[in-house]
Amino acid sequence: MAEPELLLDSNIRLWVVLPIVFITFLVGVIRHYVSILLQSDKKLTLEQVSDSQVLIRSRILRENGKYIPKQSFLMRKFYFNNQEDGFFKNTKRKVVPPSPMTDPSMLTDMMKGNVTNVLPMILIGGWINWTFSGFVTTKVPFPLTLRFKPMLQQGIELLSLDASWVSSASWYFLNVFGLRSMYSLILGQDNGADQSRIMQEQMSGAAMAMPADTNKAFKAEWEALELTDHQWALENIEEELMSRELDLDGMFSKELPTGIF
Amino acid sequence: MASVSEMYDVTWEEMRDKLRKWREDNHRNSEQIVDVGEELINEHASKLGDDIWIIYEQVMIAALDCSRDDLAWTCLQELKRQFPGSQRVKRLAGMRLEALEKYEDASKQYDSILQDDPTNTAARKRKISILKAQGKSAEAIRELNEYLEQFVGDQEAWHELSELYINEHDYGKAAFCLEELMMTNPHNHLYCEQYAEVKYTQGGLENLELSRKYFAQALKLNNRNMRALFGLYMSASHIAASPKVNATVKKANVKYATWATNQINRAYQGNVTNRVPGC
Repeated sequence: MAEPELLLDSNIRLWVVLPIVFITFLVGVIRHYVSILLQSDKKLTLEQVSDSQVLIRSRILRENGKYIPKQSFLMRKFYFNNQEDGFFKNTKRKVVPPSPMTDPSMLTDMMKGNVTNVLPMILIGGWINWTFSGFVTTKVPFPLTLRFKPMLQQGIELLSLDASWVSSASWYFLNVFGLRSMYSLILGQDNGADQSRIMQEQMSGAAMAMPADTNKAFKAEWEALELTDHQWALENIEEELMSRELDLDGMFSKELPTGIF
Repeated sequence: MASVSEMYDVTWEEMRDKLRKWREDNHRNSEQIVDVGEELINEHASKLGDDIWIIYEQVMIAALDCSRDDLAWTCLQELKRQFPGSQRVKRLAGMRLEALEKYEDASKQYDSILQDDPTNTAARKRKISILKAQGKSAEAIRELNEYLEQFVGDQEAWHELSELYINEHDYGKAAFCLEELMMTNPHNHLYCEQYAEVKYTQGGLENLELSRKYFAQALKLNNRNMRALFGLYMSASHIAASPKVNATVKKANVKYATWATNQINRAYQGNVTNRVPGC
């Protein structure tokens, strides 16, 4: 049974859909620049820098250890994982979980984060809801159950209306998440307007929580390194090399570059 | 003396782009940089916009290499005026003092940078270079080791340390440094080749075998590395000529050496075509 298609006034498209897109986009750009202005300097301690590099070195040892001789690989593995004095076994970092109470800079960071991101979203969402209320804005292309109705059809009290028809507030939220890729295109990576990334960071426990993880990171690296074996990549290198002639095409070319340009 | 743009008939944009390419590739052709950069700064400063600051830095370092203290001083003054409190500019000022052999003052300059920011790697590395310039290689090695304990990921430093060890004939430790570099850059044929050379110099049957393998690896990564090809030939023939090896090893190495000889002859013939075996 085909459903009757609703025909929306084209003025809705002109005066509601497009303005909401523009508003969301511009607010996002403004948020990005405001976050740059309000950004506080992240001071890393020597220990943090050093630890992060050690972890990288250990990872490289695991991944590319097959390019160095077996003896050298074992020497390094021993240095890291030895029972008595291996680096990962012995080094315990003082872990101060950066909660908002103990670390004042964390508190201000959190506040700034909230102000720049959550607050405008709520304000503008509410304003849009109030301004553009009482009519249907758009239809989502997939069918939805009735439970979505009160959420997506905020100002419209029609019991029989299909849940796919949504109000302007939901169009606004769609935009907030949808324009993320546009932001990366225009503002480059790591932009301050990227809502979902910021929310992910907040959920994973603040971007500065690395110190708390260092001990765990060391333990994880220790385990991974224990499991790594050395498969020397150069075992049959001569046979592989000599199976074909060398590619010496155009090696001693007659033209030499002269001068600067 | 004709200007660069007249000699080569290039526009200022091409000169600027050439400087950028040298900057990205980390070339150390200081005389050319000074020639091109000096003209850009003197004639086309207004057109460069914000690019001019990085060009000042590049030209200043090149000028120090060429003993052009006048040019270096001008660049430094401009940078100091534009970026008053900058640590990057302070480091450049320290480098100028180094070039004038005022090592004490330079050292003090770097210490002040480190006081503000203990994680500043550039200042630490400059201090080690001062020791190297003064010929105090043992101290330089010690300082560099301490630096690397904290910053294990600094590849430039590992390479410098390997060079210092080679100069001191401590080939075992040089090999260790080169292994670090090979791990972080598995596709760089030059590190494999250098490692093979160090192993070859160390001598002894095991090291010769290792060196032969790593010469082969360098060749596999870059078929045109002539030095590796010669190295392969020499290490293989050296092993074959050694009295301690058994017959199979000897035979294998003679085979390798012959193959290498053929390739060398092919390369120097001058008209090489690639024939796929079996076609």
